[in-house]
Parts: sequence; structure tokens; C-alpha cells
Amino acid sequence: MRRRIASICLNTGLLAVSAVTIFPFVWMLMSSFKNADEIASVDQHLLPRVWTLANYRSIQEHFDVVRLFGNSLLLSVAITGIAVYTSLLGGYVFGKYRFRGRGPLFALVLATMMIPWAVVLIPRYTMFTGAGLQDSYASIIIPAAISSFGIFLMRQSMDNVPDEVLEAARIDGASELYIFHRIVAPLSVNAISALAIFQFLWVWEDYLWPYLMLTTPSKQVLAVGLTTFSGQYSTDYGGLFAATTVSIIPVVIVYVIFQKRFVAGAASAAVKG
Amino acid sequence: MTTTESAQPVAASVRPPAGSRRTPAAHGERPLRLVVVTTVTVAILALVAWPIVAALLGSLHDWNPLNGTYRWVGTANYRRLFADPVFWTSSVNTVVFMAGAIIGRVVLGMALAYAVHSSLTRVRTLHRTLLYLPTVTPLVAVAYVWRLMYNPQFGAVNSILGLDVNWLYDSRFALPAVMVMTIWKDFGFGVILYLAGLYALPADVLEAAQVDGAGAWARFRRVIWPMLRPTTLFVVVTSMIGYLQAFVQVFVLTDGGPGDSTSLLPYLIYQQAFVKYNFGYASAAAFVLFVATAALTVLSFRAQRGPWRGKAQ
Amino acid sequence: MKTTRTLAAVLAAGVLMITACSSKPSGGDGVTDTTAAKGLPVAGATLKYDPNTLVNDGKPIHLDWWAWGNIPQIQAFADAYQKIHPNVDITVVNQPWDDYWTKLPLQLQGPKGPAIFNIHNSQHDNVIKYMAPYDIPVDQLAADYLNAKSHVIDGKIYYLDLGLMSGAIYYNKDMWAAAGLTDADIPATWDQFREVAKKLTVKDGAKLKQAGFNFNSSFSAFQAGMAYQLGQNMFAADGTTPTVDNPANRQVIQRFLQIYADGSGSKDFGTEATTSFGQGQTAMVYAWGWYEGTLRSQFPAIKFGVFRTPVPTAGATPYAYDRYNGESTVGINKNAPADQQAAAQDFLKFYLTDKADMKALDLSLGVFPAYKPLADDPEIKADPALQAYGDISRYIWPGTVPSTFEDNFTKMWQDILYNKVDPAKALTTAQQKIAADLAGKNFTSAEKLYPAYAPSN
Repeated sequence: MRRRIASICLNTGLLAVSAVTIFPFVWMLMSSFKNADEIASVDQHLLPRVWTLANYRSIQEHFDVVRLFGNSLLLSVAITGIAVYTSLLGGYVFGKYRFRGRGPLFALVLATMMIPWAVVLIPRYTMFTGAGLQDSYASIIIPAAISSFGIFLMRQSMDNVPDEVLEAARIDGASELYIFHRIVAPLSVNAISALAIFQFLWVWEDYLWPYLMLTTPSKQVLAVGLTTFSGQYSTDYGGLFAATTVSIIPVVIVYVIFQKRFVAGAASAAVKG
Repeated sequence: MTTTESAQPVAASVRPPAGSRRTPAAHGERPLRLVVVTTVTVAILALVAWPIVAALLGSLHDWNPLNGTYRWVGTANYRRLFADPVFWTSSVNTVVFMAGAIIGRVVLGMALAYAVHSSLTRVRTLHRTLLYLPTVTPLVAVAYVWRLMYNPQFGAVNSILGLDVNWLYDSRFALPAVMVMTIWKDFGFGVILYLAGLYALPADVLEAAQVDGAGAWARFRRVIWPMLRPTTLFVVVTSMIGYLQAFVQVFVLTDGGPGDSTSLLPYLIYQQAFVKYNFGYASAAAFVLFVATAALTVLSFRAQRGPWRGKAQ
Repeated sequence: MKTTRTLAAVLAAGVLMITACSSKPSGGDGVTDTTAAKGLPVAGATLKYDPNTLVNDGKPIHLDWWAWGNIPQIQAFADAYQKIHPNVDITVVNQPWDDYWTKLPLQLQGPKGPAIFNIHNSQHDNVIKYMAPYDIPVDQLAADYLNAKSHVIDGKIYYLDLGLMSGAIYYNKDMWAAAGLTDADIPATWDQFREVAKKLTVKDGAKLKQAGFNFNSSFSAFQAGMAYQLGQNMFAADGTTPTVDNPANRQVIQRFLQIYADGSGSKDFGTEATTSFGQGQTAMVYAWGWYEGTLRSQFPAIKFGVFRTPVPTAGATPYAYDRYNGESTVGINKNAPADQQAAAQDFLKFYLTDKADMKALDLSLGVFPAYKPLADDPEIKADPALQAYGDISRYIWPGTVPSTFEDNFTKMWQDILYNKVDPAKALTTAQQKIAADLAGKNFTSAEKLYPAYAPSN
């Protein structure tokens, strides 16, 4: 009986917390179907009194939403792929190899995570434009190709790769690349999923760097498009919510696809500290 | 990395004859190691070290990259910074914000993970998915949603709680409001990590604690909490680094106001760098932040290795 | 390995999508113009634009034009020009306002910057050195454009005002009628205004239901302008020393605080005055010209009227009714290739003489036209926000004032209202911060160009 009551309390409580957690999303979604008057009306209702698609239509007036969506998707997928691969490789080398200078170099990698982005922005800008990389996707991909957080995460997850297995493979004469691709990678699938989600989200939501580097409007990314709703004097909330809803969808899809592994992957990083 | 990609099928099919075995360290390890070490070193030098040196030099100059000013001023920027009351307000705010957000993330993350983990809980996957949703959505977007929700007249927060509080403009509530939004956005990260930590605990430990007749709270405090300490360290350190650079929340919600009461150091840096174009001054502030971050990180690791660690194992 | 396959599938889908989208041709239209004599009338008053010419010898040329808002009105200029000169391909690029001033100056340092760009005079310092002077005699510009002389730098003009924006009081006509007020009650002085605000306030017990007057978050818009009403300039007689900590500004603060003390409004009721007015919670707000367009597009249900900001003394013309600021004409990139610059200079003459499109732009910006041929235009005269200004020559322009004034006025008011800082102390702090920000900037005010200028300290 006591167990029963505890169970009801716990489940009700959890449901309440989950509901509160997603409330802002529901509210945003509903608001994206309201007209401007109603969004800012004092008399608030969750459901729109008048359903309208005007906000979604207005996105296209601000920017070519399909095109920018595609650009963001391409960049996010490409960078995620590259960064995950390089991080895994880095994590493997730092986690499983013994060599001189490993400690200091790894410490340096960790230290780069602490650099405030505002400091390096202008020197980087000068460097990339100087190299003639402005308005090219290379300028977006290169700085994100190697992720110190990724290397850190992957190195932590190397504990899931038993040394004995590696030794056995080496004794069988497998090459390091074979071991890396056929043994280390499959054993790190969870960590890969965790990093993939983080990385995808970071690229997806980043806007200042792409905004500075890309000049051709058709090459621009979605996050930059979102900022055009916030004008010199006022913000078009309806349009912003509609565009935000559109921009959140892919992230949620990626998350749902990877979520099971993601939990385990995030775990491997933290549990072993 | 492109060369390793194409080498894969070859590596898979061609194996060296069994007789030519050498020590593992010499066996193909060196090229891979060289590639990785070289790439990482070059990346750090080019993308981090060089810009940092440029910025460090810049912090000693009156520097406006837009109109080309670059004039040596020595430590004037640092002296101005330390004499600036806004810098001190922002520093205190940053520490308060960071501590509050980390505590919220740890406490909520741990409590909810414990709840989801409980054998009494149904539909775990649903909860896991919902609780984590804020963490995987873009911060700028949700910050705008919260700005409207905090509105005193038509915002959802007041109408749900039945309050009449001017959240973002009342200096007593503005910083906590920004923190609440941040905790909402990020606690899911804690939940997932702690959940994973709980799953990784050996079952016999939990059982043994139960058999001993320890109460739920005592069991949690004496057994589970210490065993989750590595998870906590990870959450604390990554949160610390993240929150010491937090900027978007303040930028969207309060613009540092009312007055300077919610200004955070990264916001101050942004204002100086990209609104006032005082790049030298901004670089000086950024350096102070960098040093503080490094010091705090080292301290956290020290604390982990410190005297109270013994209890964990 | 299921994850890897999913990842690969997503990647492939993404790449396919991009290739599908990017198959559009990327070059210009590539049209060549062969007819110089197009039989079109010459436009303009003193400054003329003759469309019957070949631009860039009729060869195809591409120009980028950066802007941050009012895109349809800006696009209209580009379209009209391309109709005359089909070989010129002008692309209007919409940039987000928030980061426009970070990107534009950086972009202009290199060779890839836009040939034409909109500018805002508060960013003068950061862009002026990348601008090419207008290839038009100053006299012609001064004859056709109000205030053009104040934009002369070393005998040349790099940009000028296309319209003048200032503040006025917007009121909700339904609330006005509900309070039993008529047009005769439109207040001329601040004392009358205070009484009207009381009448327009609705309370439910102690709780405010409708604010008579709301000035939250619009502090920076009115502070300096209202001090001008009291004869107080923003700069001392030398034109370079900012004066903020003075009795006039203190009086302005007290006057506005008094209205809230009356209970006709509150710091916690409608945290953005202009939004609150749009929501039908506030009866009167002070706002600048842009607000008219925002009300029409975002709050079409509100019936509003506009009247001139009250003055301290009945019947007496103040030193100035308010400060104004100009919305600027376009700038031309001096680092752009010579052929682009030449085409841009030709476009510029078209732009400055295109009466119809200029009028539409003025109206959409809510600015009083600087282009003199538009001053008596019936549509301009019928516009409630523009007619409210009255005699535009009694408004003063302080120059391209750095944003430190507005930033610090905002902080000062937030400190006073929300952080309980004493107004006198807040003013002193604002004075110090503004002086510190201006140090070394070599800014000189344009106040002396005001015909009724009288120095103050």
C-alpha cells in the first residue's frame, strides 16, 4: 500500500515536471499560429482564437527559408561528421597510446575549451579573410573540424575499449587503422552519438561566425535568418516563433534518432570522470 | 583524415604475415600518432594560440579594428578595467549566476534522474525525452520565448503562478529569472548524466544498502551520492566553463539591465568589443575571464582529489 | 553500426537537397543595353537625373546593396532603376540589424564589400573612412535637401538625410473618447498633459488597468530632446564637452517621475511603453516616427492619433521642440571596383531624384522628407505623425551623436526606476560614463548649425 502511494506520488510529480519542461515549446508552437495582436494581447489563451498561417508565410519574405534550411543542414551534417571522426581519432590516440608529451598536449587541448570566444573572434576573422576564405564554407568548417570537447569526450569513453581486445587484435596482426575503424569505433558508438547531438546543435544554432564569414545571401545559414526578425526598433514575435519552430524540428529529429545511444554515450564520459 | 578514410578497405583485407610481428608500439602506431599530434598542434597554434597572442597584445593597445586604431597603451586597459564598477558588478553577477545555475543543474539533475531511475516509475523513455528537450534546442530561440513568458502583464509565468512580478526589470528578480531560464534549459544535461551514472552503479551495492535496512535518504547520502561523485565533477566542470561564457541569456532577456544589475562578464566583453569597439579593453576583460576560468577548473579538480575524496571509494 | 548507417543516410539526404537547390544560375542577368536614347523625361528639381544614357557603356554589371529594414521600399528603387538600365543588376541584401555594424565595416576593409550600403548616422565613425564622396556638387544637394550643408566634410558630401525623425505623443482615440476628452483637450503644456494623463488612467482598486501615460523603455528617446525644450544643449559651448549633469535634465526626470507618482502609470505596468500601447493597455506614449509604421503593421486594431509633444510654457515657442535625427541616404563603397563605383554614382543620382519611391520610403520610415519637392505633398501632409511635428525648423540636430548618450540615458533611468538610485546621483554617473566614452573620439556637435542656437553649459 505504501509502495502504491509512493508510486502515484512519484509518477504524478514526474509528469508535472515533464509538463512544465515542455510548456514553453507548446506555448511557442501555439503562438506561431496566432496573429500579432493576439501574441501581445493581455488576455492570453494557450490555443489561438484565430488560427493563422500568416507567420509561416512571412518567413519567406525575410529570407529563402528552404535554401537556408538546406545550407544549415549541409553544414551541420558535414561538420558533425568531420568533428566526430577527428575527435574519435584524437580520443583514441590520447586515450590508448603512451607517448612523450601526451599529458601536456592533452592539457592544452582542454585549456582551449576555456578560451572566451569573444577574444579570438577578430583575430580569426582577420586570418580567414586574409587567407581568402571569406564567403566559403571552408571558413565555417575549418575552425569546427577539430573539437577539444569532442577529443575530451572520446578520450573518456576509451575506458569502454578494453586494452586486452586491442592487444589481441595487434597480436593477430591487425593494422592500427583496422583496429580504429573496426574495433574502437563500434565500441564507441554511444559516445559518438552523444557528441554528434552536441555538435549538430552547436553548428545549427551558431550564427555570429557564419554571419561574419558568409556574404552571399543564398549561402547564409538559418540561424542568421532568424535574427532578421529582431529589427532596429521592434521584434516580430509571430514570425520569429514560426521560424524558430521550423528551426527546432531538425534538432529534435536528430535527438530522437540518437537518444538511446546518447544517454549511454554521455554516461561513459561522466561516470569515469 | 581523408587518407585514413580511403585506407580503410585496404587495411581490412591485407594483413601482414604472422611472422613479421613487432612490438605493438612500433606497429603502425607511430604514423597515426604523428598525424593526430601534428594536426592537433597545428590546429591549436593556428586557431587558438595565434589569436590568443594577438588578443593579448591587443589588450595592451587602444584597439579598434573597424577604424584601424592600434596604439600602444601598456596596462592602461587593465587599470581601467579594475577601476570600473561595472566590471566588479559583472564579476559578482557571473559568480552568482554560475553557482546558482550549477547548483540547480546538479540538484534537479540528480533528483529527477533518481526519480526516473526508480523502479516505481512508468514510461521512463517518455520522461527522458521530454526532460531533455530544452537542452537540445537553440538557446537564442528559447530565450525569446522566455522573454515573453516573463512579461508582467501578459506573460505565462505570472498568469500561471498568480503573481504580479516584473521579473526582468526588478533588480531583486532579474538575475534569478535569468538563472531559472538557464536551469530550465540545461538541467536535462544533468538528468541524463546522473541517470547514466545510476545505471552504471553495481546492482549489489544498491541491494546491499537495502538489505542493511538503510532508509532511502540515508542510502542515497551514504552510498549513491559518493559513488556519483565523478559524474558530479564532470557536470560541475563542464557547467563552469559553459556558464563563465554565458552571454545569450542576458543579451536576449535583460540587456544587462536594469542598470547593470544582470551584466555578466561575457556580456561586458561583448558590449565593449562589438557595440563600443573597444577591442583592447574587451580583450583585457576576456583575459581576466580566461585566467579565472583556468583557476576555477584547476581548483575543482584539486577538490576532487582533496581530503574528502576518501569517502567516495 | 545502425547509427553509422543512419548518419550516412542523413548526410546523403542533406547533400542531395543542397545539390538540388543550388542548380540555379548564379551569375547576373548578363543583359546588354544598347539604347541610350530611351525617350524618358529628365527627373529632379535642382539636381537632375537624365535616364537617357548608357551606364557602364551598356555592359552588364552587378551591384550589391545592403540594408537592414524597409526592404520592399528599397527594392522599389532598385527595380525602377533596373527597368531603365537593364544591364545593371542590383541585388538588395537584407542584413539583420543586430550585427549589421559588426559586419559592414569589417567587410568594407576588403575588396568584397557591397558597392552600395545603407548607413545610420550613429555609426558614422565606423564607416566614414570607407565611403566615397557623392559625385554631385554640394550646392545642388543643398538646394534640394534639407540640412544637407551639415553633412559637408572638407567640401564634400558622403551621405545626407533623406528624412528627419523626431518624437511626438501617440494617443489611443478610443480611450480618449471613453474618458470624455475631445480634440480641444489636446494638451499644449506639460501641466495640461499631466491632468489629461490622470483622466486617461483606469484603476481597479489600487491595481492599474490602463496607464494614462507610459514611458518605460523609451527613456533614451525623450531625455535629451526634453532638455532642449528647456534651452539645454547636449554639449557645452565648445561643442565637444558633453553636458548631462545639469538642472534641465534633472527637471525632465522629475517631470516624468511626477506622472508616475500621480498614479497615471507605473514602472511595472507595460515594461515597454510602445508594446503596451499596441496591446491597448496604455493611453499615451512618447515615440519617434518609426512607431507609426509599427502600429500599422503589428497592431492594426489600435485607433491612434498623434500630437506634438507638450512644452513647458503655454504659448511660448521653446528653444527647440525636440531633437531630431536623420535617416540617412546610401553610402558608396570607395574600395569597390571603379566600374561598380561609377554605376553606383549614377544610381545615386536616380535615387536622390526618384520622388515617388522616396516618398514611399519616407512614409514607411515615419520621417519628414528632407527632399524639398516632397514637403508639400498631400500624402505627407495627411500623415498624422508627420503633421504633428509642426514647424520642422524648430527642431534641433545635435549631430551624429555616439550611442553612448542613448545607452547611458537608458541605464540611468533603469537605475532611477528599478534600482532606486537617486536621480541626481544617476545623472552624475551618466555624465562620467558619457565623458569617458567620448574621450579621444574627437566628436564635435552640430548644435551650432541650428539657426536658433544659443550656447548653454
